[in-house]
Amino acid sequence: MKADERSTGETGPPAVPDWRAVTLAFLKIGTVGFGGGFAVVELIHSELVLKKRWLTEQRFENMMALAELAPGALTVNLLAGIAYRLGGIGTMIVATAALLLPSFLLIIFLAGAFLAWQHHPMVQSAMEGLTAGVVGLLIAVAWDLIKRAPRHWCCLAVGAAALLLGLVFPVNPIWLVVMGGAAGGLKTWIAAHTRLKGAAVPPKS
Amino acid sequence: MSIWLELAHTFLKVGLFGFGGGFAMIPLMQSAAVFKNGWMTASQFAAAIAMGQVTPGPVAISATFIGYKVAGLPGALVATVAVFAPSLVVMALLEKFYLRVRGTELTQAVMHGVLPVVVALILHAALSLGRPMLNAWWPPVVALLVAVLAITRKVGYGFLVAMSMAVGMLMAL
Repeated sequence: MKADERSTGETGPPAVPDWRAVTLAFLKIGTVGFGGGFAVVELIHSELVLKKRWLTEQRFENMMALAELAPGALTVNLLAGIAYRLGGIGTMIVATAALLLPSFLLIIFLAGAFLAWQHHPMVQSAMEGLTAGVVGLLIAVAWDLIKRAPRHWCCLAVGAAALLLGLVFPVNPIWLVVMGGAAGGLKTWIAAHTRLKGAAVPPKS
Repeated sequence: MSIWLELAHTFLKVGLFGFGGGFAMIPLMQSAAVFKNGWMTASQFAAAIAMGQVTPGPVAISATFIGYKVAGLPGALVATVAVFAPSLVVMALLEKFYLRVRGTELTQAVMHGVLPVVVALILHAALSLGRPMLNAWWPPVVALLVAVLAITRKVGYGFLVAMSMAVGMLMAL
């Protein structure tokens, strides 16, 4: 069990920055943080934990656990949580806006260019290449998730059911996500129930 | 006015149910933008995702492109705020109450149920994006190469996407 990290001063109290410093740091991460995902988590760790020492390793790890639990992009969750911890709601909103600003401006520029030129044969062929690349990335991401998923028949069954349902019927993917969560919750509930009745069900997943 | 509400509503849902990281949002965005509302074609959607990859910042920024395509600059702003707002709200709540939610058996189990669905949805998005590209020989090769490189060599995603675009342009010559 981890110690309660609300107690301060594990390796000396981390410096407490004001909202301007946080916003500036987030703007930098939003400008150089290409690639997304775990590569950017590394960057965030070296910037905020090692260099600026705004939060301890322990607190960073806890924030990662929360960020993985929350919906949405991992890096945005992580940074929003850190900003909230450092300066409350105002800092969180301003700093996250700063984080997204470089990407936002760049994508508006790209979108304008793309929509103006999209019927040019060269652009169309470039798009076919891009689509192929995105399909490849999606396969790679699915592969990574499968490797991280717990090996359990229940996981396999839920995944297979979702794949089939999605292929056969035009189901709203949101319902599939909700049903998956419900299936996971139900499984644990049943396991806990049978355990109470004395049946030896190992709670390990 | 109503198109902005539509955008806000759509992307709030995408942001709220995109469990499992930015890529988990791709199927949700595709379902809303391409299949349900017909805001863009499949290949324009692929462009939106690709642009999310070549810019710094998270994949979910593709929402900005979709919003821009639908309703210009205000649309881009609405979609971006809507897709990220749930993240902020949930993180603020989790941060407040985390001692109670952290690592409990039930939250773990729910995530374990969601994860396989996310995998299925991502594979489904890959299938529907990939089906039209079977008309030529080279896109499947590029897709396979990108997948293998991304899995084994840990090459940056942005770089791989840029290379796929370059291959596409070469094929036009």
